[in-house]
Amino acid sequence: MGLALARSASANPTVDVAGRLATGLVWQASRMARGSGPVRPTGFAALDAELPGGGWPASALIELLVAQPGCGELGLLLPLLRQTPDDRWLAWIAPPFIPYAPALAAAGVPLSRLLLITPSSAGEILWATRQAVASAACAAVLCWPQRADTAALRRLQLAAEESATPLFLFRPENAARQSSPASLRLALSPAGKHLRVDILKRRGPPTAAPLLLPLRGDDLAVPPSDVMARPDPAPAALAGLCSR
Amino acid sequence: MLWLALILPQLPLQVFARGSAEPGLLTVTEGAPGRRICAASPQARALGVKRGQRLASALAVAPALQLRERNPELEEATLKEVADWAGAYTPQLSFCPPDGLLLEIGASLRLFGGESSLRESLLAGLAALGLHAVAATAPTPLAARWLARAGRGGAPLPPDWRGMLDELPLAVLLDGSDVAGHNLELLAGIGARTLGDIRRLPRAGLARRDAAAVTHTLALAYGETPDLRSAYQPPPRFEHRLVMPSPTIAVEPLLFAARRLFASLSGWLAARQAAADHCRLVLMHEHGEDTVVDIVTGAPSRDQDRLGLLARERLAALSLPEPVVELRLHADAPSPLAPRSDDLFGDPGTARESARLLVDRLRARLGEDSVRQLRPLAEHRPERAWGTEPPADAPRAERGMPPLPTQQRPLWLLPQARRLQPQGKAADATPGEGFRLLSGPERIESGWWDEAGIRRDYYQALDAQGARCWLYRELDPPCDWYLHGYFA
Repeated sequence: MGLALARSASANPTVDVAGRLATGLVWQASRMARGSGPVRPTGFAALDAELPGGGWPASALIELLVAQPGCGELGLLLPLLRQTPDDRWLAWIAPPFIPYAPALAAAGVPLSRLLLITPSSAGEILWATRQAVASAACAAVLCWPQRADTAALRRLQLAAEESATPLFLFRPENAARQSSPASLRLALSPAGKHLRVDILKRRGPPTAAPLLLPLRGDDLAVPPSDVMARPDPAPAALAGLCSR
Repeated sequence: MLWLALILPQLPLQVFARGSAEPGLLTVTEGAPGRRICAASPQARALGVKRGQRLASALAVAPALQLRERNPELEEATLKEVADWAGAYTPQLSFCPPDGLLLEIGASLRLFGGESSLRESLLAGLAALGLHAVAATAPTPLAARWLARAGRGGAPLPPDWRGMLDELPLAVLLDGSDVAGHNLELLAGIGARTLGDIRRLPRAGLARRDAAAVTHTLALAYGETPDLRSAYQPPPRFEHRLVMPSPTIAVEPLLFAARRLFASLSGWLAARQAAADHCRLVLMHEHGEDTVVDIVTGAPSRDQDRLGLLARERLAALSLPEPVVELRLHADAPSPLAPRSDDLFGDPGTARESARLLVDRLRARLGEDSVRQLRPLAEHRPERAWGTEPPADAPRAERGMPPLPTQQRPLWLLPQARRLQPQGKAADATPGEGFRLLSGPERIESGWWDEAGIRRDYYQALDAQGARCWLYRELDPPCDWYLHGYFA
């Protein structure tokens, strides 16, 4: 096969060798991975365009590195949370603040399917997360772990793959230095009426520019001293290191 | 009528051994003066311990024997447990002490796919209870029992089953009948060796020689006289016990033993076409107070694996004061459970079932208060406008909501509002700490009728990093600013 390809390539220098390779067998780092499983649309066209498959991977560990709690991490997931099927839970494990029921209900999140789990220790948080993911009874699992070493992340990633449940881990910004088996890592930071998303790792080429996603309530006027002028929170070098 | 006789030949040993996979050198003795070996584990038998041996000689060949006194009460209780469990196979069953049961299976053959598959299923189920049994079927109770005793129950019954009975030795007559030992001596004295030999003797002569009981028993066994048996009535409560082979505090051995009881509970529930939503496992210690473990399944269930999973979480979280010598399982108030019909296109109930199981497991390990659901409440004060409730059995469609606030509310609410360092003085102060107000105020003034009245002006603001927050300012002096939530 290799020989045949080489010959045809030499006969016609313009032929696209990569195009002849069977899809899914060879992945070129400059291209976006395809066909790696079902995806769920994120609800943001700009983000969909940058994610492999065009949405949240439906069976994967997704790490969201949050610069500061409250910067818009829930707004990013709202479109997904709204689409929870009738017979699945939506597990929230150890959130840092109170998920405010009136606001969630107003945003269309089905509270009758939302399961709020508040374990008392870091170990129990990981245990509960693993149970929730492995049960395949959840449409999505959102977890705020107190600590997570690589082995624990690997176990969670495997559980998510086996049960086809998307698992969102919310971790502090400095976790970007730790290597992770997550197939998708996004750094989130506030940017006025937008949410700034840096894709630290994806199955695809490194991204050049951060995404700015509009959050709800953007009818508000942002004061003139725009926060966009502040120094870049996630240096590009960091992103490059972690995108392998 | 087709009777299936179950005989548990190793019952005296197995009432002690069933709590563990490996009975070790467990040996049961009986007899008050001069104790003798009544039953011994395979490992003990391999060392040369035999049934009927004197205890002293047994200890001479195997000094490490783990001895137990025979416990007829426990044997009877275990036999009752088997009867409760076997109700799943037929409603018509009766006791045959000391070690057997009789099941009328004529009406159950079709459901279980025939005689041999019913027998296999019974024996496999008994193995899950930790008991070994032999079984045989015959049209009369005594014939079934005798064939089982003689080990002739393996094959389907031939049409000339009476011929099979004819070949059995005289000794079987003592089993389950009124025949006395001297009757058999008489018969053996006149040269009868098998049941067939007796049947060829003249009846009148037998009756004259005080052997009427023999002819009557044979008539029952051969189906010439109807054999009436009183049916066993299962009790309304499930309450059975299991003696641990050796006292332990380790979770796995306890769980293994508990699974035996869950298996019989599952059979008892199946017999009643019911399910239980809770049961109580009592761990008994030699001296101290019993440890009680309540297992709540959330939804009615009779799935023994599920009970095992929940028990594992509960036992793992438990710290036992001393070794457990005995387990008891109680269950009552079973609720009717309609069996689920199989679906041609996948099983729609599976997702619901696994959703339920997830909640049960989380609650068993983390506690009831750690697994909650949220709901909004009709209340103006933000910190009181939400509440939690125990989770429903399974996820469900949205219910009606109380009226929600018309103004935008933050998705994150701080458990305790954080006081900010103000800039400027008193009434003119701004929140400081780099907060910039975006919109507001929204005045919330409510709760004057109880202790927790509030008078606040709420604002949306950006903090120094650019996250959108929810601030308020007390209207009453000292007019402090507070951070109350993030819009996230």
